[in-house]
Amino acid sequence: MQESPGIRLLRWIVLFAALIIMLFPIYWMVNTALKPSTQVFESPPTFFSTAWSLDAFFALFESRPIGRYFLNSLVVAGGTTVLSVVLASFAAYGLTRFPVRIEPLIILALLFIKMLPEALLVVPFYQLIADVRMLNSYLSLVLVYSSFALPFAIWMLIGFFRVIPRDLDEAGIMDGASRLQTFWLVVLPLARPGLVAVAMFTFLTAWNAYLWSLVLTTDPSMYVLPVGIATLKGEYQVHWNELMAAAVIAIVPVLAIYTVLERYLVAGITAGAVKG
Amino acid sequence: MVMKKRAAIGLVAALTVSLSSSVGALAQEITLQWQATALSEAQYEPIWKDMVAAFEAEHPDVRIEPIMVPRADNWTKFVTSAQAGAAPCIVSVPIPSAAYNGYLMSVQDMWDSEPESYKSVWAQNAFGALTFEGELYGLPHYAGIYGEVYNRSLLEAAGLDPEALPTTWEEYLEWAKALTGEDHWATTVLAGPTDTTTRVLLSWIYSNGGRAFNEDLTEATFAKDPKSLEAIKFYLSLASEHGVAAPGPATLNYNEQTILFAQEKIATMRNAYWGLAKVLGDNPDLADDLLVAAPPANSEDAMSVATLTTVSISANCEYPEQAWEFIKFMNEPEWAVRMVSAANWMPLRTDLLDRPEVAGDPIVQTYLEIGANSLTIPLPTPAWEQIASKDVVEAVQRALQEPDRVEEIFTDLDALVTQRLNDI
Amino acid sequence: MTSDQDTTSDQAGTVPAWTSRGASRSSRPWRGAGLKRERWLGYYFLLPAILLTTALIATPLARAFWTSLHRTRGLRSDFVGLDNYVYLLTTAEFWESLRVSAVFTTVCVFFHMLLGLGLALMLNKVVFARTLLRVGLLAPWIVAPSLGAIIWVWLLEPQFGVVNYMLSSIGLIERYQTWLGTPELALASVMIVDIWRGTPFVMLLLLAGLQGIPRDQYEAATIDGASAWQQFRFITLPNLRYLLVVASTLDVIYTMRHFDVIAVMTAGGPIGATEVLPVLIYNTAFTQNNFGRASAIGILLLGVILIFAIFYLRATQPGKARED
Repeated sequence: MQESPGIRLLRWIVLFAALIIMLFPIYWMVNTALKPSTQVFESPPTFFSTAWSLDAFFALFESRPIGRYFLNSLVVAGGTTVLSVVLASFAAYGLTRFPVRIEPLIILALLFIKMLPEALLVVPFYQLIADVRMLNSYLSLVLVYSSFALPFAIWMLIGFFRVIPRDLDEAGIMDGASRLQTFWLVVLPLARPGLVAVAMFTFLTAWNAYLWSLVLTTDPSMYVLPVGIATLKGEYQVHWNELMAAAVIAIVPVLAIYTVLERYLVAGITAGAVKG
Repeated sequence: MVMKKRAAIGLVAALTVSLSSSVGALAQEITLQWQATALSEAQYEPIWKDMVAAFEAEHPDVRIEPIMVPRADNWTKFVTSAQAGAAPCIVSVPIPSAAYNGYLMSVQDMWDSEPESYKSVWAQNAFGALTFEGELYGLPHYAGIYGEVYNRSLLEAAGLDPEALPTTWEEYLEWAKALTGEDHWATTVLAGPTDTTTRVLLSWIYSNGGRAFNEDLTEATFAKDPKSLEAIKFYLSLASEHGVAAPGPATLNYNEQTILFAQEKIATMRNAYWGLAKVLGDNPDLADDLLVAAPPANSEDAMSVATLTTVSISANCEYPEQAWEFIKFMNEPEWAVRMVSAANWMPLRTDLLDRPEVAGDPIVQTYLEIGANSLTIPLPTPAWEQIASKDVVEAVQRALQEPDRVEEIFTDLDALVTQRLNDI
Repeated sequence: MTSDQDTTSDQAGTVPAWTSRGASRSSRPWRGAGLKRERWLGYYFLLPAILLTTALIATPLARAFWTSLHRTRGLRSDFVGLDNYVYLLTTAEFWESLRVSAVFTTVCVFFHMLLGLGLALMLNKVVFARTLLRVGLLAPWIVAPSLGAIIWVWLLEPQFGVVNYMLSSIGLIERYQTWLGTPELALASVMIVDIWRGTPFVMLLLLAGLQGIPRDQYEAATIDGASAWQQFRFITLPNLRYLLVVASTLDVIYTMRHFDVIAVMTAGGPIGATEVLPVLIYNTAFTQNNFGRASAIGILLLGVILIFAIFYLRATQPGKARED
């Protein structure tokens, strides 16, 4: 399909205009994070500054154990990703390879979980975790996040597994492999782009979650990044540059992951995941 | 299939082992959790760290575990854990609401068994806010007293005499007009969604000798008391009719107000002593420019507002004796005095008034004089949080939208708040 | 519903499932093909996921429902049956919040879909700087909602915020606005932030759908002399239709239950102008300390969302859906 250069140019202009609008808040975050305290409230505000420095980052690291928060986030988001992808793969395999009579019920349940308003469950969730004495543990956060991430993960993987030919499974079984071996050696490798896409979604969900970790951790050394960052908003002080510096630290890793793995994301969804 | 089951069990086991954190590893030692928003304040941090270290040195079997909490989420976090019977032992939360809900432990017996010499050092007028249904539920931690803060340079630039600060509403309005210009204003009218809005409104009502509640807290009188209504109308007219207040009151909270003051966008603000620390944190150049006076008044029996931050023990606390020790310890003169100078928090112990850090600081003295003539909030009703952070705020926001209907709006507020006071 | 698809001949990743739907839905070879001894195997594969979600979601949900039947006062509570529901359904507070939720969701989803589709269509044709554009446009969705909201609070700050500065210097506004300070502006502001945050996700789903449309359909159309509009109308839209339904329904559900942005930016104010249902739940539970009533609102919200879920299931379930 040939296009005139005019249309192409127009498309580029529109796309880059959209890009600038979408990225402007993020640019402003970085800009503020790099400003020394004295320039934060300058009027008119500066868009670039020769006085840019990393002072806010140093101040931040001095006032809060940001490294520890970062580690907590990493463990929790990583653990959630691993657990969710494993369980979701099993479930999606079960649903697409075997006759499961309660399948419509399961799909409905998955959708149902996605809809639950968080605020409704805060207190009962806390009671449950407190009852089993698992407050302040990575495990409780991983389990809670997983239970919320699982529906979407299963849902995407179902569509993905469905397009992997079942002939392959059957060929594997003919060769004497067990179901589990077939699953592990034949199906999973083929599903890789989908698994990566699902992992990216799950990681992001867990990395960004706020309310659950706020209530399920009482020990500050167990705070994840979003909660740790929220403690920067004190009653008597808000240092915008430090707050923005903290936001930069929270955002850069996921942005990097998405940049590196971007092609899996679109390809993974394209390959069948969105069909539910 | 069997293999799969084993794999699943193995997986769960592995996760459990690898992900469980090392909670509960320490035996024999008593750990007391301490949750307070104050812990996140930069200027308080060195003080409480020293204080905790000193306490632990004195009590080797007790460990204090501070819980820093996002300011906006303090109550959420407390309630959630209290609901599960797992609240931190030592907490700073609004006493009436928390005690009403059964989240706090009465400390009446422990207080009663203290010697008279200890009990007598406390400013007695503070204890109303600590008592619920006749029982004491905590000790004061620090106070905030509301005065009027001025920027000396801006006054001089407007041709006003900083040595003769306004004492009446008329003078204040005159000054306010002189202090307002193209992109700067005299002051702020606060209507942001926090209880600071209510604190400042009450300080105006009290400065007219008005009352927003009746004596036994069964009725709201924002509009019913003519002096209260007059004060509300005058205060709001600063924003509407006279245009001497910064725009967008509904977005202005304590933080925005102090930033505007630090940036010299406004010349006066109604604030407590800690507001000065905040301003100087934002703009150290103002160090020599800050003046404080009693709020301008319009009545013989004008008063101001003092707020009280308290420390209590949770109902589920397993070690109330040790918690009580710690609460007393944090109010020892050594720490209280440091809090005055570093965090600008007012002490509530009368035995501190002669200490040089307190007696030698003219601004502290001014605040203490205002405080001697102040009414304390929060008021002892479990509905206080909702009244102060929601009902009054919404009424102020509405009244600013519809300046002609102020009386009607606050009459509605009276009805609503009266219902809340009795509906418990 | 999922195993109704039969795409045995396709290699993974080449043809998306939804483009082939309808092709062979009558045959259900799989149901019968499972070996007898494997009949229960599917459930074993499902078991871990079911156990986890049941343990972690069903119990708290049941507890929340139980709470909604009580009048609570802190640790004490009295059973009051449906009183909380009756109260909610007969007072203005709930209905007003539902109205705000409906306006918020309608406007946001409309723009998510419109802008998401537009961006996806343009991105689909781009080769140069593809990763930059894709990740750049996805970035608002990657940023945690709680952080994104904090950034916007700072952008919209009345005195020192850059939005006021920029809009007034290009003459769009005469004086600095307090974006979160008046009811109308506050609602518009949180909607703009949600559109900023939610558009990329729709864009991503639709882009994935566009990538799955076989090239040869367009090539054939070009040979037949179809215009760009005709190609969009007769190839792109039909192929994308299923995904448009999926994306819009999912988006309604997500937007309806969204909490973080409004909680951080306005907490529901001023004067309740932005108090959508999830924020009302939170405020009722933690400002009013009324857990019984808060739980009841939550259950009612769940009911509202369930209506969309049923619509979604009907629209996507091949057996019941009308032919494309």
